[in-house]
Amino acid sequence: MTQPSQTNSQSLLDRYLHAVRFWLPKAQQQDIVNELSEDLHAQIEEQESALKRPLNESELEAILKRCGSPIIVASRYRPQKYLIGPALFPIWQFVLKLVLVWVLLPILVVVIGPALVSASSRWQPAVWQTFSMLCTVLISTAAAITIVFAVLERLESRLRLLDRWNPHSLPPAPRTEKRPSRTQSVFEIITGVAGLLWLLALPHYPFLVLGPLAEFLKAAPLWPRFYLPMALLAILGVAYQCVGLFRPQWTWLPPAGRLLNTLLSLAILHFLIELSAPTQAGIWQPYVVVREGFENSAQCVRVAGLVNVSVLLSLVGTWIGLCIAAAVQAWRLTRQIRERISQAHLRAI
Amino acid sequence: MSHGTKNPQLFENLRLELRRGCLIVAVLAQLRTEQYGYTLRKALADDGLAIDQGTLYPLLRRLESQGLLVSQWREEDKRNKRFYRLSPTGEPILRQLLDEWNNINQSLGRILQEA
Repeated sequence: MTQPSQTNSQSLLDRYLHAVRFWLPKAQQQDIVNELSEDLHAQIEEQESALKRPLNESELEAILKRCGSPIIVASRYRPQKYLIGPALFPIWQFVLKLVLVWVLLPILVVVIGPALVSASSRWQPAVWQTFSMLCTVLISTAAAITIVFAVLERLESRLRLLDRWNPHSLPPAPRTEKRPSRTQSVFEIITGVAGLLWLLALPHYPFLVLGPLAEFLKAAPLWPRFYLPMALLAILGVAYQCVGLFRPQWTWLPPAGRLLNTLLSLAILHFLIELSAPTQAGIWQPYVVVREGFENSAQCVRVAGLVNVSVLLSLVGTWIGLCIAAAVQAWRLTRQIRERISQAHLRAI
Repeated sequence: MSHGTKNPQLFENLRLELRRGCLIVAVLAQLRTEQYGYTLRKALADDGLAIDQGTLYPLLRRLESQGLLVSQWREEDKRNKRFYRLSPTGEPILRQLLDEWNNINQSLGRILQEA
């Protein structure tokens, strides 16, 4: 008669083999389980003959634990399969990062998000709409990129496209970190100071920006609010260029300064564009107005309207350009920081 | 500087990588005489090259699918066992692998002497 503990042990062994079988390739299930079962029985017999008694449940458990978890044991019989193999993985990772982090995220956060928020009367639903759009777009794009790469992986294993490469088609090696030349820095300071002087002269000499139209057009009342931030931004630009001249070894300063300037310019432009939006009465906030004495001239009013539309379009165009510039500058700065970190790491080794 | 003592996982990974190729040669060499899985494992362990069944059986199947081994189910001691032996295709491959192994061993010896 079978002992209760032996029955339990047999049941434990059967359960183990059944669990292994579940994860095995169908065609080989029986064959593999038979062989594994034979090995386990041989181990049990050997231990039993050493102990001169049947194994108890915990001793059998120890043998099974040594053998490994059913899913791991079964996985070793399967050929290694990848959705995206090691050859294409770095390219997939690079494309994913480029598209999600450097293209979609900035477009959604800097362009579409603020556009939705400014177009909506309440900001909370607009922020939520932006966030849900962000999640949907990022997840679906990541899935689409992964599917494309999974297909490429299948093709690559057959066509071996990566093996067909030519050393002459390699991209040029990156240039070593270059300090800006002194002449370049001096020239940048001169142009920065000239720009600042031009900005400071504008309130007194409007023809500097309006040209002959300054005779009958003048800046709208909204400009004084932005004048100080714009002047401070120009001073900041000159300041970091001066620091760069005296500290050329601070190679991180020009890209960091440019990025800061771009971001601050974006903020100012955003408010400038937002202020031009029509009021509740449907009146557009102008950037230029007709001078006293010319209000009754239909031609002057028409020219003022054209100038206002041109200014608005230029501001929007500049804003889009600065968004792209910010993304590029952020990417360059990150790359420079990474290079510095990896160089420091190499030096440490 | 001993990375092995600082990072046991790293050492374990490198050890497994080093063993992987050696195990194939050892299994092929052992199977110049017919054996079944359990006795093969015991023989390898007795010679100082312990291998767990989760590694050995998939390896045997792979070597058989590559034509280096042949197998046969047979009853022995009232139990069905699968017996493996080196195939005619496997014999010259084993000789080549052993030559390669000797070359690597000699090169390593020279490198270590130079060091």
